[in-house]
Amino acid sequence: MSDTSDIRAMLIESATRLFTDHGDARLLDAAKRDGWSPALWRIVEEAQLPLVSIAEEAGGAGGSLSDLAAVLRIAGRYAAPIPLVETALAGWMLASCGLPIGTGPLAFGPVHGETVAARRHGTQWSLSGSMRRVPWARIAQRLIVLVSGPAGAMVACVDPKQCKLSPGRNLADEPRDDVMLDNVVVSGSLVAPADPGVHHATLRLRGALARSLLMAGALDRTLELAVRYSTERTQFGRKIGQFQAIQQELARFAGEVAAAVAASLSAAGALERGEDSLLAVASAKIRTAQAAHEGALIAHQVHGAIGVTDEHALHHSTLRLWAWREEFGNEAAWAAELGRSIATAGADQLWPLLTKD
Amino acid sequence: MFQQVDFSALELPAPARKLQQEVREFLRAEIAAQAFKPHLGHTEFNAEFTRKVAARGWIGMTWPKRYGGQERSYLERFVATEEMLAVAAPCAAHWFGDRQIGPSLLRYGTEQQKQRFLPAIARGEYSFALGMSEPNSGSDLASVKTRAERVPNGWRVTGQKVWTSWAHKAHAFFVLCRTAPDSGDRHEGLSQLVVELNAPGVTVRPIRFMDGYHHFNEVFLDNVFVPDAMVVGAIGQGWKQVTSELALERSGPERYMTTFPLFTELMRRLGAAPEARALEMAGKLTARLWSLRRMSLAIAMTLDPGPDGDQGSPKATVDLATEAALVKDMGTFYEREIIDAARLLFDVEPTPDAADTFERYLAETIVCAPVSTIRGGTTQVLRSLIARKLLGPLK
Repeated sequence: MSDTSDIRAMLIESATRLFTDHGDARLLDAAKRDGWSPALWRIVEEAQLPLVSIAEEAGGAGGSLSDLAAVLRIAGRYAAPIPLVETALAGWMLASCGLPIGTGPLAFGPVHGETVAARRHGTQWSLSGSMRRVPWARIAQRLIVLVSGPAGAMVACVDPKQCKLSPGRNLADEPRDDVMLDNVVVSGSLVAPADPGVHHATLRLRGALARSLLMAGALDRTLELAVRYSTERTQFGRKIGQFQAIQQELARFAGEVAAAVAASLSAAGALERGEDSLLAVASAKIRTAQAAHEGALIAHQVHGAIGVTDEHALHHSTLRLWAWREEFGNEAAWAAELGRSIATAGADQLWPLLTKD
Repeated sequence: MFQQVDFSALELPAPARKLQQEVREFLRAEIAAQAFKPHLGHTEFNAEFTRKVAARGWIGMTWPKRYGGQERSYLERFVATEEMLAVAAPCAAHWFGDRQIGPSLLRYGTEQQKQRFLPAIARGEYSFALGMSEPNSGSDLASVKTRAERVPNGWRVTGQKVWTSWAHKAHAFFVLCRTAPDSGDRHEGLSQLVVELNAPGVTVRPIRFMDGYHHFNEVFLDNVFVPDAMVVGAIGQGWKQVTSELALERSGPERYMTTFPLFTELMRRLGAAPEARALEMAGKLTARLWSLRRMSLAIAMTLDPGPDGDQGSPKATVDLATEAALVKDMGTFYEREIIDAARLLFDVEPTPDAADTFERYLAETIVCAPVSTIRGGTTQVLRSLIARKLLGPLK
């Protein structure tokens, strides 16, 4: 217990230091133009952060899902413009079916449940299908695709240069690219039957959890900025933080952030322990999306006009919050799914379900 | 916030899980036998139910065995409490004794007070009320005016307390009063006394809630004699005694679960295949409750000092007072979200006479909705406290 928490504390400390030292405003501004930050990626990859929670014998960095969760929260806090979540999840897909993880940034798809068909040609496979808005596809060295083979789901490692990419972006200028595979030929050594735990629903589940963790970090940051601004900005001869109207909003904001942190980190623990992952992850995505909604707007309100400019750092976090809350299912979609599961279980199971973990 | 908490590692240990099932079974049997009829909004005083809970050892659970306790953890107490709340069990007869009076007596009481009161509370035979608020002291508790004058062998107390829940049924109450004139520091000169409610000079008058229900009272103290043996802790230390240990109390499941039985009945009425809007509302209510419980549980587990010693719980080394205030603030608003979802999903004109449980719960919760954001620290006071912590001293 104390061993794992010591290791976690060290990981948090070193990741925080890494992002503090390298993730400055200039880097974020440059990434808006370039789509990402190769410089930050090199440092993060060298620190093996994308491989946390993947077993060392599978080529990962070891550690638990909760360790990865702690890292993602920090990455969200610094608005890290790199495919960290995507590389971690693609690495998990590869490791679970015994394919090599290799190096370089990865992306995975489909993220909207589309079907990519795989047909065998001798020792090779031919892949066809299209995938909408794949995060970081044009940045990735390899695309890890969940495909539908003749004998079931498979994981394929694809060279993005073989695909037709239509670049797109989210509100924060992060790459979200449409990917078309038109008889893309892949060597048999780069395709393997998918682990039973890797399918469309689990990709969505893990993607939603990862976005919740990034949002929790981004909320940490927006609250910090709003609090700092309230202690610096003077109007009517007083620091604006001395006005009760501002104080009441900041307090409400702090509650939203605390709830987002509690829900997202708790969900990572629940998934790690194999508990009811729908309850935990849906709750995390719903609660962090709600917090993102409330928190981002309070942060802007406190900052006044300066906060809505591209000069001020606030927008790096708030634009991401508004993008991430929709990705891998927004709060309405997850609420409907969670609602269906509790309705099916019946009223007398509501409390037992809520307290099972 | 919550920097000291590792949410991903938060899990109920096996003894708490076992207790959860035991309490759940007990309550299921009580409901099946119609031993109580659950009402929402006002917690009910049911001496018979309290004695049954006591017989199972679930009152004063964390206290030392020699005072009638079970030496169990605070987390187990948390689990038992949330089970009671989930079915609106009538706990008023032991609520204050178990939650506030017992811990205070353990920490500050004399040996004689502990022996006299704690086993009686744990047996479910002795009920306490709380005499804190006064007509001119609500949020600003330090402004209490009730005075105690020194007399041979004790004190003479004069003043008025209000919102004293169940004073008409309880045996005694804790009175916060001024034992020295205001010296400029309002937190000085306050003391806590145990006053028996049948003592000469004590008059209890009902204050009816807007639905006619009677649990509030005003209590008049007219030159009431309180012997030295009934002073709790040190004279002049009342403020410190009253405000210590606020975190556990402020963040408990009672802050977000008082309307939960309405959620259960809402799901019953919705059935197995509700329409899309209902599914979404139910999913959101579930997510918010799950998240609140994780926070409340985190505070309970982080502050859990294990069973009490003879001096009460050891002082918590972690300060989670701000986090507790956040939980209370969000929890009390969550309770209203359940009411609104229930209202908007069904076309019901609420009446307290409804034969249907869902409809009756709806009526009962609507009427009591304003209370939770007022008692135990108003929303506005809590938010000021949270903001002070966030912002630090501003000049």
